Parts: sequence; structure tokens; C-alpha cells
Amino acid sequence: MGKETYSGPLEQISECCWRIPKSYKQGMRVDGIIFTDERLMQQLRKDQAPEQVANVAFLPGIQYASLAMPDIHWGYGFCIGGVCATDPDEGGVISPGGVGYDINCGVRLMRTNLFYPDVKPYLRQLVEELFRRVPTGVGQSGKSFSEKELRHLLAEGSPYVVGRGLGTARDLEFTEAGGKLEGAEPAEVSDRALSRGAGQCGTLGSGNHFLEVQIVDHVFDEDAGQALGLEKDQVCVMIHSGSRGLGYQVCDDALAMLRKSPEKYGISLPDRQLACAPIDSLEGKRYIASMRAAANFAWCNRQLLMQQAREVFATIFGRSPEDMQMDLVYDVCHNIAKFEEHQIGGRRKKVWVHRKGATRAFPPNHPEMPAAYRNVGQPVIIPGDMGRASWVLVGRQGSMDQTFGTTCHGAGRAMSRTAAVKEASGRRIDKELEAKGVIARAKSLRGLAEEQPKAYKNVDEVVEVVHKAGLSHKVARMRPIGVIKG
Amino acid sequence: MYETFEHTADLGLRIRAADLNALFAEAGKALFSAIVDDLSTVEPRERIDVRLASDDLEYLLFDWLKELLYLFDTEHLLLGRFEVTVADCSLEAVAWGEPMDLTRHTMLHEVKAITYHALKVQKAADGWLAEVIVDI
Repeated sequence: MGKETYSGPLEQISECCWRIPKSYKQGMRVDGIIFTDERLMQQLRKDQAPEQVANVAFLPGIQYASLAMPDIHWGYGFCIGGVCATDPDEGGVISPGGVGYDINCGVRLMRTNLFYPDVKPYLRQLVEELFRRVPTGVGQSGKSFSEKELRHLLAEGSPYVVGRGLGTARDLEFTEAGGKLEGAEPAEVSDRALSRGAGQCGTLGSGNHFLEVQIVDHVFDEDAGQALGLEKDQVCVMIHSGSRGLGYQVCDDALAMLRKSPEKYGISLPDRQLACAPIDSLEGKRYIASMRAAANFAWCNRQLLMQQAREVFATIFGRSPEDMQMDLVYDVCHNIAKFEEHQIGGRRKKVWVHRKGATRAFPPNHPEMPAAYRNVGQPVIIPGDMGRASWVLVGRQGSMDQTFGTTCHGAGRAMSRTAAVKEASGRRIDKELEAKGVIARAKSLRGLAEEQPKAYKNVDEVVEVVHKAGLSHKVARMRPIGVIKG
Repeated sequence: MYETFEHTADLGLRIRAADLNALFAEAGKALFSAIVDDLSTVEPRERIDVRLASDDLEYLLFDWLKELLYLFDTEHLLLGRFEVTVADCSLEAVAWGEPMDLTRHTMLHEVKAITYHALKVQKAADGWLAEVIVDI
């Protein structure tokens, strides 16, 4: 399995676009389209990810094409880096697998008015304090909420925690969807999901999640940089986490609920993990209501993590977060399904856009944009690996024309976890990073080995593709200087 | 007997055993070996009982591991010893372990979920084989 290479068709249709024609497999309703380039293509055929792009094309009601971003890699059911839009008016389905277990996993970037020389002498102290105060790793507890509070939080999203003094109104303005999806139904979230999530709001988790202190390494677009408040050598904080155990359980519950739905609704699927239900069915509605609640939880989680970071900076630098202008640049989700309006085949349609390991990238003048960014487009935050870089981009019109307003979400893995550990045998990743000026703290050395820079594709190459393809536009390259991980 | 196998972003567990009872017991150990480094550091101080029924053996394995993951996630319970009796797509199990104690246990992965992707329980030449991918 997995290690098998993909031997199906991949036809180049433009500089950054390859197609899997719908004739490849009987049952595909649309083509598969993968955004990539010659260099990244070398890796693409190494596993079954392209096959998964073809499999997603089986979903009823799918529009235009089953899409994949250049950070595509093999997932379960859907590939990571996959995008698909389904139309409820054409029997379209909703699929929990097209969102993923970590519902509303996402990234936020907070800027400060500090510059590298201000922070450098205190960096170790700062990272140690972040590592001590931000709950990180397996089995760690965050802020505890009663069941009643948790239900409010699920229904109301970030505004709920901000209302309790854990952030500012400005934070909400610069969070995708204002940190709240309407239509969330806490009653659709199982007791099991509530109990898994109860102690986990405000915890980072493990795996690829992180909190990093970064500096702006290079600004590629001065005007956009200015609008986003980013300039060279400025210190920022990037946070990557999601909906924790609550979201995983919501996805799990939905997949269990949908076990029989392919038969019930006469949907033929090539992979059990693609389980789905018609959007307007009872099962579909229940999943959507619970998924929205989990998304709200994730925004609260990142909001609390950001508040923790603000408090730690205040402790270390002896100044208030306001004084250090610790303002949210933007928060984006990259595992989500949203009901959005798009131009498809010459018509305006409302469709369910599934983004699994893919980021919304709305262009300038889109109505869902904070006024400050109206002229530059929606900020897109792309976490890379802990040794090289992360990126800030802005959305471009090309995303609306080609990918339902979507771009990539990260570097994408180049090595499996086991291969990365084997590769790192006998090395101390933390020491290597330190030699490069990055202080990294993690709960397990094995975790660091699994997440070492070499385990990932070079994020610069991934970003180059989406930039060239006109899906989003480079604003700034960020360089990590402090990392905490689970 | 169990081992891990490669999956790009996640982790595959491959379990082999002479019979189904042993297969499910080993699968429990395989899961916790992904969560905690060195399962032998987990002492059998507490006992839990699990009963489950499912539609087929693959779903039964999935539900079994899901139950164990839930126990860890909500009660921070690490389990290292299992006795399982499987009959007709249902199981009765007893497991022993103790709550996570970071002074003695080194944690490895946060397993987010058990996945259905390429889930496999099948007869092999020398007994039974199961494969399951867990989301990390």
C-alpha cells in the first residue's frame, strides 16, 4: 500500500497544472487537477495521492474538478491538499473526510513592534517560558470550561472567549469568519466529543502543531507588507493548532453515523474513508451542525493560545501586550467545509467547498475582508518547517477563477514519520537547529526527529507554484527563531 | 506481534497473531506503543472492562481501538496488558494499566483518530493479520 507509486495518467495542461482526465476511472464525474511544477512532480508519483484526487471525483454533485494544491500528499480518503466543491442543487454531498479529523486546524500570525535585536538576548528565556506556560504535547490540559460554558463556546466561537476578556474585538475582525460559523449546534456534538474537548481548549497538541517566534526575513511586496503591518526583522508569533480531541471525535462520530449512508443513498465510493451524505439529508445536516461547532472550538483554542503568548511576552519584556502592539495579522483555517458563492460555468452558485489541508485565499475587494485588507486581499498564512521558513501571502483573483478561492496550506511532508526518525538516528535535531539560530523545545526528541526540516518539502517551492499560478501572491517570508512543539 | 509501517503524514500499525483473541490484544498494545515510549513502563495498577459488538471484524477492530483511544484521551489512562475474547464480531476485553505519569512515562504521539483508510483484518498463512492507520 502507500509506498506503491501512482501509475495513472497525469497530463500537463499549463505551466503549473496537471490533469487526471475523468476517463481514467469509471465513476469519475469530473477531471482531477493538480497544481504543481516539474520539480515537485518528481515526488508526486511516489505515492497514491494522485489516485486519491481521482477518487474524490466520484463524489455526487462535485463541481468543475477534484483539485489538489502543490503541497499534496497521501492522506486517508481525501489527499492532504485537496479541494472539492459540491452543489446541493445537484445532489451534492458533504464528506467529513474532505475536512479531516482536525476540523478547523489552522494558523494565525500575530505581529509585535519588537525587532530581532530586541528579542535576541532574551530568546532562550522567552522560548523556555512559552514552553512552560503554553500546554503542549500529549495529554496536557488547558483552560477548563464547564459543560454549560463549553456549549456556549461551541455555539458562539471566538466572540465567546473574547467576551470573557480573553482577547480584543480587533482579534475577531482579523479572524476568518470572525471566529464564528453560524449554524453551529452544540446539541449535535456528542458527550464523548465534549469530554475529549473539555480540558483541551488552549492546548497546542502534538504532531505538526507548533507555536513559533519568527522574524520577517524578507518582504516581497512592500505595499501589501505595509497593509499587513509587516517589515523586515520584525518579531511575530505564528500558531498552528486546531480543534483538538473535540474535533477529532466529531469527525469520528460523523464517520460512524455515515457507515451505512453510501448504501442508503445509493452512492458508490472507491474508499470507505470517503463516506459522505447528501447535504440536505438528515445525516448531512447533523454533520454540518457539529462540524461548525468544532470549528468554533478551534478558533477559541487558537485565541487562547495567542493570549498565552501575549502574557508570556509581557512577563519576559515587562511591557503590556498593547504596548508591544501584539496584534493579530490574520487567522485562517485549512481543514474546513464552507458554504460559499462561486462563479461556476458562467453561473453564480452556492456550493460546499471542502478544504482539507488547503487555505482560503480570497482576492482584493471580496466582501468577507476586513476593511484594512480590502485592497490587498486576504492574508494567507503558510507554515513551513521549523528550520527554514513560513510564508505570508495574500489571495488573488486566480484562486476564484481556478480553485474556488483556495491556495496551499503548508510544505507537505516529503518523508513519513518512521523514515524521518530513521534518517535522524544519531543526530540531535535541537542542537542542529540551535546552530542555525533556532531554539526549539519539544516534549519528545522523537517528535522533533519526525518533524525535522528534512521531513518536509521545501515550502519555498510550494509557495512558488501558487504564486506563479495566480492563486495567491507572495508578501513576506518568515524565519523561525524560537519553536515549541508537543 | 506488532510493528509500525510508513504512511506519509501518519502512522500505520501492522499486527500479526495466531488467533483473533491475540490479534485484538496485540492491537491494543500496538496503539499504546504509538502513544507512549516503552510500553513496559506502564504498570497494571487499574483494570477496565470493555464489551463491544460490530458489523464485521474490521469495524470491530476499529471500534476497539477507538474505545481505547477515548479512555486515554478522557482519563489519560495508559494500558499495556490486554485479554480479549472475540466471538461473532463482538468482543469482551479486560485491560490493565495506569494513568499517565510524566515522571515515569515518555509520551510519543497524540493519536488523533483511528482511520478507516486501508483498514484490514484478514486470515494469513500463519494466523491473522491486521493493518490500521492512525491519524497523528
